[in-house]
Amino acid sequence: MSDAISFARYEKKWSRYGPFAAAVLVVLVLAAIPFFTDSPYLLHVLNLTFLTILAAVSFRTIIISGQFPLGHAAFMGIGAYSSGMMAKWLGWSPWITIPLGTCVATCIGIVIGYPFSRLRAVYYAMVSLFFGIAVVQIINAGGVWSGGYSGLTGIPPLIGFSKTPYYYLFLIVTFVSLLVLYRFETCRVGTTWKAVAQSYLIASSVGVNEAFYRVYALAVGCFFAGLAGALYAHYNFTIGTSSFDFVATMMFLMYGVVGGMFSFVGPILGTALLVLAPEAARGLKQYVPYISAGILLIVVYGMPQGLIGLPGMIKRLLSRRAKYEAGRV
Amino acid sequence: MLLEIDNLTKHFGGLAAVDGLSFGVGQGEIVGLIGPNGAGKTTAFNLITGILKPTEGRLTFDGHDVTGKKPHQLAKLGVGRTFQLNPLFPRFTVLENVVASCHLHPHSRSIDAFFNTPRYRRNEALIMEQALETLKLLRLDEVKNELASNLPHGYQKMLAVARALTVRPKLLLLDEPTSGMNWEETELTLSTIERMLGTGMSVLLVEHNMEVIDICDRVVVMNFGRKIAEGSVDEIRNNKDVVEAYLGGDHAA
Repeated sequence: MSDAISFARYEKKWSRYGPFAAAVLVVLVLAAIPFFTDSPYLLHVLNLTFLTILAAVSFRTIIISGQFPLGHAAFMGIGAYSSGMMAKWLGWSPWITIPLGTCVATCIGIVIGYPFSRLRAVYYAMVSLFFGIAVVQIINAGGVWSGGYSGLTGIPPLIGFSKTPYYYLFLIVTFVSLLVLYRFETCRVGTTWKAVAQSYLIASSVGVNEAFYRVYALAVGCFFAGLAGALYAHYNFTIGTSSFDFVATMMFLMYGVVGGMFSFVGPILGTALLVLAPEAARGLKQYVPYISAGILLIVVYGMPQGLIGLPGMIKRLLSRRAKYEAGRV
Repeated sequence: MLLEIDNLTKHFGGLAAVDGLSFGVGQGEIVGLIGPNGAGKTTAFNLITGILKPTEGRLTFDGHDVTGKKPHQLAKLGVGRTFQLNPLFPRFTVLENVVASCHLHPHSRSIDAFFNTPRYRRNEALIMEQALETLKLLRLDEVKNELASNLPHGYQKMLAVARALTVRPKLLLLDEPTSGMNWEETELTLSTIERMLGTGMSVLLVEHNMEVIDICDRVVVMNFGRKIAEGSVDEIRNNKDVVEAYLGGDHAA
């Protein structure tokens, strides 16, 4: 993971606004897609991809602060179930319950964050893994209120049953959320997170309240995971705990590793590839786990920086070859 | 006295790593803390900087009772420190190390940072200016874009000092600042420490190197967690207990 701080002020205008312009371009291209297709299936897949990207990037936000949240998908579940249950049983509008569900996920993140912030490395990962399992079990034990093992059904829709309005909503929400997360990472808050991740002792010796900054990162991550979950509940109308269990967190990790954990764009790229590619080859659907595992193995062994590091790798290989050939002549 | 240590005690289970340690560091004074391996120097250091909580005893810094305060609270009061091992952020460059360490002076609220307000931009520009100045002072400006973990050992130690200076310390605690340094680097470190003393800063240092001990105004000697002697460098050199602690009882005569 590269921890380079961007000294944007000292760089040229292009390198400062270039990535932003590219992101806007991608969003505009994506916004045009519904004009060219009316396949609800494609739009459905893209909708899920947007929410998964948001969750995967929020997972990485917690990782850069030096925490390894193996129960991250549970926060998505907390957002989804709290929003869905409020809307279903209290009859409130999803426009209110989605922010409320997001808040519930954030608050639980903050509450568990303080005791968690005393744990380091593998102990943190273990406890957060068990927290995730506990959340899933509690929801499963919720009986009729949470739908138990058969899942919560009949969640009121946010904006009707057509896929297209959701497509634009999720595109906008994901884009804005990613901008927020990117800003967090590139401003001083992100610098402090990365500093705490590298050495909490040194960070606290220069006056950083490291427990606070770890909880801060966790709260930001949980907020966006909760948001993604709550939106998912009111889009899919049916939710089950299997979408929020340990395997789901492992998927976020895999998307990040395949795309490149050291870069903000990595998890976005990884999610897009690993969610969309199997859809393109639908006939092979039952082999998806094996294909994903294969890709993961290739990436971990062959390109430790992930797909995002590929251009750099090729450049290095080419220059090495050029040097080699120059030496031969 | 800027720092007063009174009956500081730390038990690890049945073992008293630091046992009833008392001494003080005055304004602008340079005090050395020495002792054989395992004497409890680093534990005393960690107690003073808040990484460990004392079992007993009191710490007073600059008129505040700081017993059991956390490291970041002490940093806010003006206690800077370096670490003996892993002295820096390994995945940051030299410049980034110092910039990331400027957390307190000036401090930007995260809301300012997030919205990139003029105040935040002013602070960041000031931090950059300060950081470059500190690097120049410690002659690290040539390597400022190197990854910190790639630096030679001596440079890493200097960078640790640069990092500690970002809290604008009234008291600087240096844990073996010259261990593993060559003669030239040691000289530079010493001249830097002496220059800092001119600004009224106090220094407490743990050291083995006797050349470094020579610059101390006062030396505190520890053995088995207790203070066995305190005095000027010459007094300590001729102290029977100290010689005995370092060389063993047989050589004392």
